[in-house]
Amino acid sequence: MLREEELKTFVDGTTRYFEVAAQQPATIGSPYLLEGDLAVHDYTGVISVSGKREGVVYFTAPRAMLTVLLMKMQESDFSHENMRDLVGEVANTISGNARKDFGHDFVISVPSVLTGDKPEIPRKAGMRSFVIPINWRSHSAKLVVSLT
Amino acid sequence: MQFSGSDRNGRLLIAGAAAAIAAVMVLVLIAGFRLATQIRASVGALQRTSSLQTYPAVISQQLTALRQRLGTLEYTGHVHRELARTVQNFNRRLSGVERRNLDPAAVRHAERLWQNYTPVLAPVLAFSGEPYDDTDTGSSLSASGRKYYDEVRQAGIFAQGNAPVLHSELAAVSAALQARTSAAAARLRTLLLAGVLAVLLLALAAAYLQLSRARQQRAAREAQDQTRDILKTVREGFFLLDADYRIGAVWSEALTHLFGRSDFKGLAFEELLRDKVPADTLATAVKYIKLLWGERARENLMKSINPLGQLEVSMDNGRGGKESRFLQFDFHRVMGPKGVKHVLCAVGDITSSVLLARELQEAQENAHSQLDMMIGMLHADPLQVSAFLDSAAAGLKHVNTIMKEPARTDGEFRKKLAGLSRELHSIKGEASALSLMSVAERVHHLEDMVAELKAKSDLTGNDFLPVVLKLDELLAHLRGVREMTARLVSLKEGPAGEGTASLPQLRIGDAEAPQAGRPVRATVDLGALLEQLAGKLASDHGKQFRLTLTGLGEVPAGYLDTVKDCAIQMLRNAAVHGIEACETRRTAAKPEIGEVRLEFRRLEAGYEFVFHDDGAGLSPEALKEAAVRKNVITAEEAAALDNRAALALIFRPGFSTRDSISMDAGRGTGMDLVARAVYGLGGKIGVSTNPGRFTRFKITLPAAGAASAVA
Amino acid sequence: MGAAESSGRRQFRLLIVDDSNIMRRRIERSQRFEELEVVGTAGDGLEALELARRTDPDLVTMDLTMPQMDGIECISRLIAMKPSLRILVISALSDKATAVQAMEQGANGFLHKPFTDRQLNDAIAELIS
Repeated sequence: MLREEELKTFVDGTTRYFEVAAQQPATIGSPYLLEGDLAVHDYTGVISVSGKREGVVYFTAPRAMLTVLLMKMQESDFSHENMRDLVGEVANTISGNARKDFGHDFVISVPSVLTGDKPEIPRKAGMRSFVIPINWRSHSAKLVVSLT
Repeated sequence: MQFSGSDRNGRLLIAGAAAAIAAVMVLVLIAGFRLATQIRASVGALQRTSSLQTYPAVISQQLTALRQRLGTLEYTGHVHRELARTVQNFNRRLSGVERRNLDPAAVRHAERLWQNYTPVLAPVLAFSGEPYDDTDTGSSLSASGRKYYDEVRQAGIFAQGNAPVLHSELAAVSAALQARTSAAAARLRTLLLAGVLAVLLLALAAAYLQLSRARQQRAAREAQDQTRDILKTVREGFFLLDADYRIGAVWSEALTHLFGRSDFKGLAFEELLRDKVPADTLATAVKYIKLLWGERARENLMKSINPLGQLEVSMDNGRGGKESRFLQFDFHRVMGPKGVKHVLCAVGDITSSVLLARELQEAQENAHSQLDMMIGMLHADPLQVSAFLDSAAAGLKHVNTIMKEPARTDGEFRKKLAGLSRELHSIKGEASALSLMSVAERVHHLEDMVAELKAKSDLTGNDFLPVVLKLDELLAHLRGVREMTARLVSLKEGPAGEGTASLPQLRIGDAEAPQAGRPVRATVDLGALLEQLAGKLASDHGKQFRLTLTGLGEVPAGYLDTVKDCAIQMLRNAAVHGIEACETRRTAAKPEIGEVRLEFRRLEAGYEFVFHDDGAGLSPEALKEAAVRKNVITAEEAAALDNRAALALIFRPGFSTRDSISMDAGRGTGMDLVARAVYGLGGKIGVSTNPGRFTRFKITLPAAGAASAVA
Repeated sequence: MGAAESSGRRQFRLLIVDDSNIMRRRIERSQRFEELEVVGTAGDGLEALELARRTDPDLVTMDLTMPQMDGIECISRLIAMKPSLRILVISALSDKATAVQAMEQGANGFLHKPFTDRQLNDAIAELIS
């Protein structure tokens, strides 16, 4: 079962990402438990976790948010490919940073990126998913942590 | 290390001074010896030269004597021989004069003068035989004698004329010699004086060096003592690693305690940790140590990647077993002229702080233990538990729905709190009614969190992270309870009664969960539940009372949840606040066993629900006082309230007369919830009391909606 | 070294390895050092090896989590190819053991993602000093 510090690792990693990469920290909204399927946004970066913990960590964000984020990163290419790249990189960074607390055995995959509103996100039965809304500027994304 | 270096330097300096003294002495001796030799030679020469000075006069005298003797025809043989000896001696001595230390011109001059003597003296000296002719008439000079006489006379005249000149020449030579000798003597004196002075100075310098060295050594010894004291008393383990990753000759005493050994000298770092940490940790540690010697990595990078900041090691506990300890390693590179010379390691035992953190965490996780769950459930009716679980699942689903409401501002977050409190409070009530204390405690804890958030300013999503985690844990716990119930049922009913599968499986996220929003909760045998709660409350609070239930069968399905929530809350209030301890009741001349009555009846239009206890009643003054204390109203407002209005305070949100919060009362979310639920159904609630005698709540509910009321 | 003929001041040839385009451009953009010339960018370990063979870089920035061949293996192969190569790991993997492993394979520095321009510049400056 996920402990508070562990969940906080992901949350802090996410807010910090925005602070460092886009010079403006994100805040988190009201966290809740996932019921049924998640209403994902346009782009979803999924990291599979194996080893010491199993499950997935994913970051799903609307195109508009990613566009602003890219602008903040001095990118001028707002293509589909670049959106995928960014959302994957965010997911990778958040999960990679979590190794600081989870240790070397927390093995993370390279990001896979899903688009569309009904993507197939691998989910283990009976595994609880925490949904943490990520608010940045006027936009809202979601971080989902689903780990044993 | 520093001290020994300067010590060596000091010793070298002193040895240098001693060598310099010896060298100076040798030089002085050699030079002095040479000077002395020179002086001795000069003195000899001087003596000889001085003796030479007399010769010209002696020769002159001897020639005169010879001439006189020849004139008086006396015997001349011995005078002639003396003259010859004198000339010979002079010749020898003059040629033997030490010329080395003399002005050669002066000597040559004297020699030349002497050479002038030779032609004059030679015929005289060449004479031999008898110069007289002896006749009877007497003697006379023979012819050779006359010639001899003439030669002697001429030589005498020559010698007389030249003697002073030669003498003065010889005297000059002698004077020069003397001057030279005294100069050498003066040099010798100076040399000796200088030598003595130099030796004295060097000796002084050596003494000073020796002194300062002794001082340094004392300082070094003191420093060593201090170092030793530090190493003995410091609580961290300190040691140096050399380039072979082995421990040096010095380490602090604490290391012995930390590792339970003392044979550290030359011990490889790997051996220090072998069998104490897992193999891969050891491998990473060894790699890291090796990296410390590399020039590649700078100090703060190495510090940031130190994998031994909190290392769990398993140690012999001295009783044949193993125990876990946590060590913190710090590494500092000691640079020498050729790169890293040593690595200084500091090891601290951080076991207690790590364990403290763990204990805190375990204390939280221990709530997971299934024992309390089982004890509670042994008493409970599985069907009731199952109904409760459904109801709780629905309630928690609502909690999650509240959580899910998007929120960015403090206001939006705060808006959730009231709803969360209400929902949790009623779940807790049901759980404690069923004596499912493991559940009740968890909900209570969650309720505590929500209450803390109410007091907090500037709420953010971070504040809700513990809540969602606790919610998750609670749900997991409820799953456990459900499984346990199923097991208990199968135990009670035996293999034939496979009723477990028919227990509804409810989980958030499951498709078969009741529809979203506030669902209709499942029916529970209300009477049994209340009786169970009453028994539990009585024993928990040391009260004795009898619970009489009337007309619960009349409660329509639509009101069941509300009636249950209200009844639980009022029963709790009665047990905690109302019914007095037996002692008090006896003194007040009341029956020792209190009485609590719950009556539900159908009216012509609607329903009536009366809750009565013969406890302490409500004191309007005490209620006002509590309300002011809780900042529910101000003191002025309180003063303006009449008794009726004062009694109504108990329906205000945030009101409680209890200061400490317990599971059953005190949070102040009790009667306001009851009132809200009643108003929600379009009903009314009233309270009447007689301080010291009774409290009575009367609730009326409308007939409409009884079948399908949804809050 | 090799690039001296192109500008005279650019002494170091830099190869950027990261599976994210955005990250590659970010690193490329942030290196304002006169002495640096970007000779190539690669999206995975295999591509990095191939590019390194062709371009003979002096410096490499290396991601760790990549498809095909991960950064750790790529580092050890690159170092085997050219021991004097200086490698800055730029990765989100933040555990100590990974850093130790990378350093052991021959990396010279470690920069955690996410990073600011300043942190990147400092890390590269450290690498070429």
